[in-house]
Amino acid sequence: MRLSRITLEHFRNIPLAELTLVGRQQFFIGQNGQGKTNLLEAVSYLTALRSFRTSDQSLLIGHGQTGAGIAYELEHELLDDTGVTIKLRPQGKEVTCDGEWVTKFSEYLGRFPTVVFSSQDQQLVRGAPAFRRRWLDLTIAAMDTGYLQLLQQYHRAVLDRNRLLKSGATPLEFSAFELPLATAAAQIVQKRAANVKVLSGYVADAYTAIAGEKERVTMQYQPDLDQTDTKGWTAVFAKNRGRDQLLKTTSTGPHRDDFDLLFGRHAVRDYGSEGQQRSLALALRLAQVNYFHERSGVQPVVLADDVLGELDQDRRKRFWTALGFDCQVIATGTGFPDAELGDWQIFKVDSGQFTEIENRDSLR
Amino acid sequence: MTPAFEKLQKHLKQLPGLGFRSAERIALHLLVEKPERLPTLVTALLEAAQTVRRCERCGNLAEGGPCAICANEKRDRSVVCVVEHVPDLVALERSGAYQGVYHVLHGKLSPIQGVGPKDLNLPSLLERIEAGEVRELILALSNDVEGEATCHYLTQHIPIDRVKFSRIGFGLPSGGGVLYADSVTLKSALDGRREYR
Ligand SMILES: [Zn+2]
Repeated sequence: MRLSRITLEHFRNIPLAELTLVGRQQFFIGQNGQGKTNLLEAVSYLTALRSFRTSDQSLLIGHGQTGAGIAYELEHELLDDTGVTIKLRPQGKEVTCDGEWVTKFSEYLGRFPTVVFSSQDQQLVRGAPAFRRRWLDLTIAAMDTGYLQLLQQYHRAVLDRNRLLKSGATPLEFSAFELPLATAAAQIVQKRAANVKVLSGYVADAYTAIAGEKERVTMQYQPDLDQTDTKGWTAVFAKNRGRDQLLKTTSTGPHRDDFDLLFGRHAVRDYGSEGQQRSLALALRLAQVNYFHERSGVQPVVLADDVLGELDQDRRKRFWTALGFDCQVIATGTGFPDAELGDWQIFKVDSGQFTEIENRDSLR
Repeated sequence: MTPAFEKLQKHLKQLPGLGFRSAERIALHLLVEKPERLPTLVTALLEAAQTVRRCERCGNLAEGGPCAICANEKRDRSVVCVVEHVPDLVALERSGAYQGVYHVLHGKLSPIQGVGPKDLNLPSLLERIEAGEVRELILALSNDVEGEATCHYLTQHIPIDRVKFSRIGFGLPSGGGVLYADSVTLKSALDGRREYR
């Protein structure tokens, strides 16, 4: 798909912006804190109706305003020309697609894929398991809404059980909540195992394309407990009650899962060079782009938040080739983009105001 | 506005589903636009508060003694449909598909919201079962974690083998409650109930 126009109203520090996007490459240049990332955040909000930066929606609404609005115009492979509008309030949001209210999130999710590349992505390789789990969950859920429901069921049941652990409860009450917990846990482990197998191929291909090395990366699922059976999980949660009561939290479960990224038998996190780790972080995002594209038939829009400048020239070129030419890229940076990467439409960003600049000299 | 008006508005706003604006509209309506409605409304409120009680048998609304459903000789008392709230019962009645009786729990287990077994209308359900007239319990609770947990709790809490448990759910949206399903969906959900224990 291609975003051809976006209108923002009272979104973060942007009072009003109406941007017509021409072609498949847009670059937003400006100092930090001027609103570049806010724009990418608004574009990516389209995908899952959530921000990639915060779970507190009220932060998205301009200071002193009662609500914010975003309107998108899109050229779409499956839906032709499509318009989406989103109204954000401190509590809740209203979404329309081609003038009709969107009431079922499960039918909306996955229609408008975007992938954010950010300088934080190295955490996917080097950071805590939570970063990788989030990557995996978002990747699976975007193409499988049943998985999203399982995650929600699981997290709700964990919250309920943790409350019982703190306040004290009868074995009957525990087992009542451990049943839906175990049902969700078993299915989550099954789905993660199956999806990691598939995604491993996507990540390996993306890594080879970006790093230009022969060495293949593999992904290996590391479940906290390799249990794919509801009865098995029920027994685990029942057995752990005593210990969990002391810890006041559910200590074992898919919320502690991880996956390894390996060269052969060695973790890239421990044995990979700085450059290899950078390439792998990029490859994990590129894998999402290709996975979403092949699953949904819709080419995702790439949102590159200050990452192009960080790459050396060879990697940047290989990354660009790997993305393909039919993919829209909306990028930000503090310096001008590489002219070798094609024709950019360039906007200058200053205190939430956007100005299109026709040629580079006018900025100097 | 005046202090008395603001006090009234404040109390109205505390009612479920009413925000500041609607509370203001109702207050203005009763005091200025249609003051003639006020006395009948006040009388109706007081009267209802004095006479409406929970049915001692099933928890439905009643006016002293059993509710209209429990009192109806034609209803099949061996089949009991367990619901969370009175409006769920009303929705099932409206579907016209059900000939048994009900039991209203007035909630579901929810540790996060501080609702435990002692907060639910369980003792009278046990009494009904021990009295021996109940053959089947149809669990019509919401299709979410708390609804599922409450169903499971009931099957464990009522260890009497002659009672058959079934659960509706067919056609109910995941995460949804009985109240939000239309009559056709509710009818198929009842017909398609599956054995639960
Ligand atoms: Zn009754």
